[in-house]
Amino acid sequence: MEAIWIYQFRLIVIGDSTVGKSCLLRRFTDGRFTDVSDPTVGVDFFARLVEIEPGKRIKLQLWDTAGQERFRSITRSYYRNSVGGLLVFDITNRRSFEHVRHWLEEAKMHVQPFQIIFLLVGHKSDLASQRKVSREEAEKLAAVSGMKYIETSAKDATNVEESFTILTREIYGLLKKGDIGIQEGWEGVKSGFVPNVVHSSEEAVKPGRKCLC
Amino acid sequence: MENTGTTEVSDHKEIRQEDRSISDETDTGRDQPHGVELTPRSDMAKQDANSDKTVVSEPELTESTSGDSAGERREAVSMTRKRPESKAPTQPVGTEQQLLGEAEKESSSQAAGSWGYWGNWGKSLLSTATATVASVGHGISQAIEKAETSLGIPSPTEVSAEVKLFDGKGAEFDEAESSPKAQSESSSPTSGAFGMFSTITSAVQSTGITVLSGGLDALEFIGKKTMDVLAEGDPGFKKTKGLMNRNTTLSQALREAKEREELLVADQVSEDTEKKAHYGMLFDEFQGLSHLEALEILSNESEGKVKSVLHALSGQDVENLKEELEAIKEAFSLVEFDEEEEEEDNGGDGSEFVKELCELLSELNIATTSDKLSKARKNAHDRITEASNVLSAQPEESEPEKGQGPRDEAKSGDLNKVQKYSVENIHTSAIQSLAELTARSIEQFHKVAELILHSQDPDVEALDRAKTLSKVTVVLCKEVASLSKQFTSCLTALGATEKVEVLNPLITGVFLEASNSATYIQDAFQLLVPVLQVSQIQSRSNTTTR
Repeated sequence: MEAIWIYQFRLIVIGDSTVGKSCLLRRFTDGRFTDVSDPTVGVDFFARLVEIEPGKRIKLQLWDTAGQERFRSITRSYYRNSVGGLLVFDITNRRSFEHVRHWLEEAKMHVQPFQIIFLLVGHKSDLASQRKVSREEAEKLAAVSGMKYIETSAKDATNVEESFTILTREIYGLLKKGDIGIQEGWEGVKSGFVPNVVHSSEEAVKPGRKCLC
Repeated sequence: MENTGTTEVSDHKEIRQEDRSISDETDTGRDQPHGVELTPRSDMAKQDANSDKTVVSEPELTESTSGDSAGERREAVSMTRKRPESKAPTQPVGTEQQLLGEAEKESSSQAAGSWGYWGNWGKSLLSTATATVASVGHGISQAIEKAETSLGIPSPTEVSAEVKLFDGKGAEFDEAESSPKAQSESSSPTSGAFGMFSTITSAVQSTGITVLSGGLDALEFIGKKTMDVLAEGDPGFKKTKGLMNRNTTLSQALREAKEREELLVADQVSEDTEKKAHYGMLFDEFQGLSHLEALEILSNESEGKVKSVLHALSGQDVENLKEELEAIKEAFSLVEFDEEEEEEDNGGDGSEFVKELCELLSELNIATTSDKLSKARKNAHDRITEASNVLSAQPEESEPEKGQGPRDEAKSGDLNKVQKYSVENIHTSAIQSLAELTARSIEQFHKVAELILHSQDPDVEALDRAKTLSKVTVVLCKEVASLSKQFTSCLTALGATEKVEVLNPLITGVFLEASNSATYIQDAFQLLVPVLQVSQIQSRSNTTTR
């Protein structure tokens, strides 16, 4: 794995049990899809680099949380140190969509004093025939809560790359604007290392580093 | 209050102080001839006299000649070094300089013409590897407890105790003292894991010094890189220093180390071999850091819970609970490496390890498997097999084309491999395997913590789980030791024709990372204490409400 990246973002992936969070991550980081997988215990980890602009890579550190209720208290501790998250529901599972609000509330409650940028993900888009949640209502909910919305499928690899790229770009944009900064004792955004060559020519990339608000 | 280990250590310290005054004056201990049947006590006195000698008698020389250069070098070390070194209290710096100075002196006195000798140290080190790693690890777990009781403020005696821990021999003696069994063993060179140490101090001591000056010799040739490895030649020392200063967590320390490496790698992108063999970065790639951080979060939260529960109780309840919690904590200090044969002759494919691990994990009665650890072990085994296949396929220069076996068509491929398979490759494989196994061990502890905190009905007592987990820790650390041994065997075999200054730092590197690995595993294990205490509290309240 290429070791050079300009930032590291920590993203958390949340949503009801069995909506396919781990599969989504496995597809994204590993390029593979497995039909059956054990439920996640507590939290698991993935990592991948994303190139947002030519030569500018961001390392995503992905915290894959358990959807099961019994691990909820563990998961709560992890919001605080995440800069962004994927809030995943299953488009064939109405209930998982209805729980989106709860997830958001919980996240808001535990992320303070920081902020967290979510992307709403309607997963399992390959099962369109069994769809229980229309794209319109999902988009509406996303808009109301200040999120973007995307539909993905880990099975046929639809929009998997896109979903992570969209979220990463959004965070990167906020970082460039100075809305988000690197802070001591916060793991959400970390500054990476740029080889000397790149360093001198791309001074502009590094404003976030100085922004220790 | 802590456990026997604690008292042992402080006990030892006092003796040590006495010895210091003796040794300063007369050096009585050192005059004992080697090989004489010594009681552990007098062995120890001798040991202490020796280590005192090492540190105490040198400072004038160091201060005047190498104070500055040692300082500079240490900066270089912190630049290049992978191993965590938390911002240390200031006291040990002096000691470190002294050590460096001492080492420097040592090397200069040995320098020219002694390569033949150093050519051997790798091999001799090899034979003592397992026990060294094991005992270093053990020393550290005791050091942790010591650090906990000392509230993070090292007294001068503690600082000197750190020096004693240097190269792990201090631990050896704590061991010998604390268990009567070990005591009897230490007088007989053949029995037990510490048998090889039991003629005792001379062997251990010389190994330590050999490591140090072997590396330092090489330093003359290859520069800082070795120094960096070298400065870490004293895991006990550094580690204790880190733990004394308890406000940095293990994951923080490791993260800093990894970041230093990344910085380093970013500076020298071109050298890929460099990149591959960075333990810290590999450890992170295997998600070891993340699991460690998550485990720390759980541990801290649990600690808070335990405190608040204790706070809410009163009278006899507090006392009872405290006792129960203390018992659990005790179980965590029982990590001892079996005195039985350290040399495992199971061919080293790790099947024994996997079997043992599975059994222990099933005793915990939580839904966790050893799959990932088994896989890590298998990967390591595959790397070793690959390396040794190359070795056996390597044509002997003296007898070409003889007895190459049935796989004739595969031969040319193998020969190609030989070209590619350098000692650096094996070194990289070793570091990779150690990083992977360690990361998976920490992941395992993390999963165990999550499951213990959230398993509905604990039908296994927290105390029993603590005991089982401490066995797991032993199994893991043993495996780390065994792996490092196998890899260094490969290194020594394949590197027979290499120059010592190439080979030695590689071997040292493997041993050091192995010993670091054992330390991380044990530190992670200690993070489970509050988790099991919370589980104890939970099961208590369950039984009372029923």
